[in-house]
Amino acid sequence: MMREESIRIPFRFAAGRAGSRMLAALRDDKQILGSHCPVCVRTLAPARPFCPECGGENLKTVELGSGAVLVSWTDMPGRGLFALVRPDGADTAMIHKLLGQSGDFHIGARLRAVFAAERRGHIADLQGFEPDPGSAA
Amino acid sequence: MRHQVIIAGLGDTESALEDSRSIPEMVLAAVQTALADAGIDYGAIDSVVTASVDLFDGITASNIAVTEVVGAVMKPETRISADGLAAIAHGACQIWSGAYETVLVVAHAKTSMARYQELTQWAMDPIHVQPLGVDFLTCAGLQARLLAHGDAGADRRWAQIAADRRGRASRPLAPASSVEEILASKPVALPLRQGMCAPMGDGACAIVLRGAATGAQGPVLRGIGYDLEPHALGDRDLTHWHGLERALQRACKTAELQRAYAHFDFAEPSCLFAHEEELFTAAVKLREDTEISADGGLLAACVPVVAGMSRLATATRQLRGAEDGGRRALVHGTWGPVAQGQVVAILEGTPL
Repeated sequence: MMREESIRIPFRFAAGRAGSRMLAALRDDKQILGSHCPVCVRTLAPARPFCPECGGENLKTVELGSGAVLVSWTDMPGRGLFALVRPDGADTAMIHKLLGQSGDFHIGARLRAVFAAERRGHIADLQGFEPDPGSAA
Repeated sequence: MRHQVIIAGLGDTESALEDSRSIPEMVLAAVQTALADAGIDYGAIDSVVTASVDLFDGITASNIAVTEVVGAVMKPETRISADGLAAIAHGACQIWSGAYETVLVVAHAKTSMARYQELTQWAMDPIHVQPLGVDFLTCAGLQARLLAHGDAGADRRWAQIAADRRGRASRPLAPASSVEEILASKPVALPLRQGMCAPMGDGACAIVLRGAATGAQGPVLRGIGYDLEPHALGDRDLTHWHGLERALQRACKTAELQRAYAHFDFAEPSCLFAHEEELFTAAVKLREDTEISADGGLLAACVPVVAGMSRLATATRQLRGAEDGGRRALVHGTWGPVAQGQVVAILEGTPL
């Protein structure tokens, strides 16, 4: 015998200070934020409350470009394309969606961020990244 | 002087796509077999370490569902929410320290209960990643693409690895298939195809660890090491298993072995995707005569959480069956997205 069940429990996840700044910037300014660690001398994407390398909290919030480089991607049929993208000005990559067809992409390709028309302070305010037609790369 | 840890008893259920027993029934079967194999009963157990993951079981504090069957009532029990080999590490430390003489370590999971990959979304960052629908399979696809970049033969090699491993298993959870069939199998996270992924199922494994002072016989657990990579994929170098290199270095240190000269007769890696076997061999730099995945490993049959402990069980059987007895095995476990957590154990057979 099997008892069938579906667990649905509403949750509220605090985005934290850095996460909240990041989500607010996506919503209000169509801007991706990162954090620069002066100790490790690298800029992390997306914005962080602390440096994962040295643990330092003395990070400077920086505005990253809306252009990006495709670091890696995967095609999950029925679920779309997912990618690791490195926004301009960042030293690390972040996971997000790719907008387009599988054949449009290759590692190292130039991308640009696409933002939703209706934004609510959510990671999906950034809809994903599409090929940048203005770039020869 | 550290106390010696002996692998004194083994018990596991046969991995199945669906085991119709309840979790306690399934675990009980593994525990009874392990206790019989060690020649002891519940009364001899000083301490219990269990490994389970609440999300997979659909219940919080998933260890309390098995308290009775693992013999933990009125005993010290510790639960590890990671790979079962990490639970072995904790059990071994209890004996090494002299705190206890006999420790039962038990792991279980039933992927048939729910959609396993969908559950793994809930292990991802809840602000930046989980809302996008990213799961462990997505992460593996991103890693595989990086590895295949500029390497036109990668997918064929991975298909060959999966075909070889499944072909040597007595009861694989996915049918044995040819390289061509694997290359034509369903795309799941390209460049990964279904045939390159470990087939998931249900199972439990129990292992009895005993201090040498009990007079127990069996392979010796010489060393343990583990390591964690950062959680965010973008913060990691996905082209190497650096965490495994560090874990092995630590395991060699606890085993008082020189890493550069440590030879392993058997290696039992935990590879959930065929490309991970290449990451494993690159990280541990095995000699060519090392036998890898004697029973097909996880690419033939995988039960999450039980995974690394099932590798320990296989390595123990290999050492027990070795003619001269005096052999060494490397056992490996992982957990988290693209093996964020890495654990290794070094086992040695007793020379006859």
